[in-house]
Amino acid sequence: MRPFAKVADLRPDTVSLRRALFLATGAGITAGGTVLMFSIFQSGGISLLEGALLALFVPLFGQIAFGFAIAFWGFVILAIGGDRFDIMRTLRADEPGAAPGSTAIALPIFNEDPDRTFRGLENMFRSLEATGAGTSFDFFVLSDSNDPDRWIEEETAWFRLCSRCQAFGRIFYRKRRVSLHGKSGNIADFCRRWGGRYQYLLILDADSVMSGETIVRLARVMDANPEVGIVQTGPKIVRGTSILQRFVQYATRSVGPLFAAGSNFWHLGGGNYWGHNAMLRLKPFIEQCVLPELPGRSPADRHILSHDTVEASLMQQAGYQVWFAYLETGSYEEGPPNLTESLKRDRRWCQGNLQHFWFLLAPGTRFTNRIHIFFGLMAYLTAPMLVAFIILSSWESYRRQVFEVFSGSIDNPAPIAWAPAALLAITVVLLFVPKLLGFLHLAPRAREFGGVLRVLASTLLETLLSVLIAPILLFFYTKFVVLTALGLRVTWKTQNRDAAGIPLSDAIRTYAAPNAIGLAAAAVVYFQMPGLLLWLSPVLAGLVLAIPIAMLTSSESLGLALRKWGLLLIPEESSTPEILQNLDAQPNDPTLTPRGIFQVAISPEAQAIHASLLRRSRVHARHKIDYLAALRQRLLSDGPPSLTRRELTALLWDPHAVEQLHRDIWLLPDQDLHPAWQHALRHFNERSELTNRRDIAQTGISRPAAATPNPQRGRL
Amino acid sequence: MEKLSAGWDAACLRLEDFLRAHNVEPRERLLALTLALLGEAKSLHATTPDVSPIACTMAHVTQVSDAWFAALAGDPERIARAKVAYFSSGRNDLFLDPSPPPEFVAAIRGAAIEAGPTLEFQSLLRKEVDYGAMEEIARETWDQFSWGHVLRAFLLWMAIFFAAWAAYVRFFR
Repeated sequence: MRPFAKVADLRPDTVSLRRALFLATGAGITAGGTVLMFSIFQSGGISLLEGALLALFVPLFGQIAFGFAIAFWGFVILAIGGDRFDIMRTLRADEPGAAPGSTAIALPIFNEDPDRTFRGLENMFRSLEATGAGTSFDFFVLSDSNDPDRWIEEETAWFRLCSRCQAFGRIFYRKRRVSLHGKSGNIADFCRRWGGRYQYLLILDADSVMSGETIVRLARVMDANPEVGIVQTGPKIVRGTSILQRFVQYATRSVGPLFAAGSNFWHLGGGNYWGHNAMLRLKPFIEQCVLPELPGRSPADRHILSHDTVEASLMQQAGYQVWFAYLETGSYEEGPPNLTESLKRDRRWCQGNLQHFWFLLAPGTRFTNRIHIFFGLMAYLTAPMLVAFIILSSWESYRRQVFEVFSGSIDNPAPIAWAPAALLAITVVLLFVPKLLGFLHLAPRAREFGGVLRVLASTLLETLLSVLIAPILLFFYTKFVVLTALGLRVTWKTQNRDAAGIPLSDAIRTYAAPNAIGLAAAAVVYFQMPGLLLWLSPVLAGLVLAIPIAMLTSSESLGLALRKWGLLLIPEESSTPEILQNLDAQPNDPTLTPRGIFQVAISPEAQAIHASLLRRSRVHARHKIDYLAALRQRLLSDGPPSLTRRELTALLWDPHAVEQLHRDIWLLPDQDLHPAWQHALRHFNERSELTNRRDIAQTGISRPAAATPNPQRGRL
Repeated sequence: MEKLSAGWDAACLRLEDFLRAHNVEPRERLLALTLALLGEAKSLHATTPDVSPIACTMAHVTQVSDAWFAALAGDPERIARAKVAYFSSGRNDLFLDPSPPPEFVAAIRGAAIEAGPTLEFQSLLRKEVDYGAMEEIARETWDQFSWGHVLRAFLLWMAIFFAAWAAYVRFFR
């Protein structure tokens, strides 16, 4: 394979040829399917209903045709040993590496589990240090957490991490006072404060982990190619335990590489940005990629929810390329633990993608961005279209059946009897051949995935699960599109990344609607058109079984049992890379308890850390002092639940108020404190006692007073 | 008397916990500090007998502690940072030491908790994006849309429908 020294070597002819090949494949298949569908309807003329069906058929069939085209070209590329035009090939392994350009690694967080977040950060920091190029990189934890407990835990976790890794001045923590515009606002705030200090910005998600080697390679690629504005990696989904997580992570490893390679095949330097696990060139990002306002009647309508695709588009409009480092290993993320969490995320994505419609026809948008935007829109819009198609086609079948019975023509063969069978066969091929190609792609490395037989069984299981889950997604995507069209808002909610099962009551509450619709549809079809039941069974089964499917796929024990049997196995489960190790370890530090508000109120260390991170106001308004004093008094006498999250946050933003709270807790006798504080203080004291006992055990010094139970302490 | 004794027991325990919360080591120093501070608190309590032993003791201890940290920091505004530096230093044996070693003082004063590097402000200027004809169509729709129009159109078409229906019934059935 000829080398790819730099992106400037990529000739426009090559780009055009590849895009033409891709579009011709997708459009050709769509045209073929449309002709077949047309021929089915053509006999006896096309009615209004048939015309509507045909109009729905074209985008629906087009979507699976273009999906197939991406997978097909991806398979071809991978089969011939990879793409010559892979952005990471512009790096020469034998070149002595100068220090990579200065890079900020931003980790925006919002009420995430600080233990998991900071352990991932620690692994990345240590991994970067091991490369020897660590000094070019600074980490920024950009907190937008509005949960006061999380805020305090983040501060303490940050301080501990910096102490452990000697990373003060290398790992920074910033809590935003006003969380405006969610994640994009958080990143913009970083750019405003520190963007001028760095050449590149690596954006992560709270669950992202990237190896030091990969991060350094990305920075070097940016150094080597000044025309590149964004390099997006394809993060591998890992660490799943529930069935859903393991199913998704297996799918992204079997068919995922095909789609990734196929995407790079056609878009090359016109790629997309996913909002995380990607490196950006900061100067053009700051100068050209500030999110515009959308046309809209209210400020909320004008704010862009899903910023990444828009930023990729603006970056390309500014003359920079966006590449997909699809083969780069060492980039990881985690998936939602259950269907409900996955759907919550989909709802946000749906609203964000639908907003991109404004850019689809905007004059400045580049061709590849229009395609990305169009695919993003169709990912959700096809759901209501498919629902309409199923309903209309069922009605059409029913109408024909009734008409044929009354006209006595039921036994007459259709003019072109082979056309429906051919169309069905093509559809099945388009839907399932990518799975087969995925299996063929994995087969040479089957040992890493549990062996050929297990890979085969896993592929079949993954296919079955996709078939069962698809109708549930169909129902919810339709609902999301309708809700979005009605202007109902979606807020930026924390993802529950823990693998927790869905309780029956929650499952019934969430999935009763698709379940009821599935049952009703099945009954109607069974009594009115029994011949259609078999054809509609893949859709109806998923709906009828929505509740058990949601519960089963959220099961951690079943997911782990499948792992034990070697099903849906990915290489990281057999041999965990160092960068992913110890992410679940519990903090073995007694000084971290109690946590949150209790910690900052009781522990002098936590209070000092918190106070030193706050800006001290020199002006103290009387009404503010009185307000905070009243809050503090209520907090002490009635306990933390007596204050709203907003009130607690207001208190915590004031260093004097926190200092005074800390003082009061230690000063007041038990009877003047709410039982919650008494309990927390006792817990803290017991912790101190335990620490002392541990010290005694380590030093051999005994302390009789501590060894004997003290009734007074029990009361405390 | 018993009540007072129990109060001092509680004060002693709270004081010990406070010192342990400051990682005071070694144990001998912990005991010595406890006894010394408790003694001082008892003397103070003699002048303010209405105050509970815990409140008296802890008020005294926090005052002593604040004064010590303020002297260590060299600036009362930097007490919190001095505390953080003290906890990071690992020199827990020096807590409330009236004459800490100069290198320790220098280390505390020199320590800075950097939550972020020096700010280097950039202005982020939003670019106007031309959304083309769609924006114009949407704006015109929003500007012109009102529920009144919808209602009027609905009533008009209902009237036409019923008129047509009445005509059909009247003349063709």
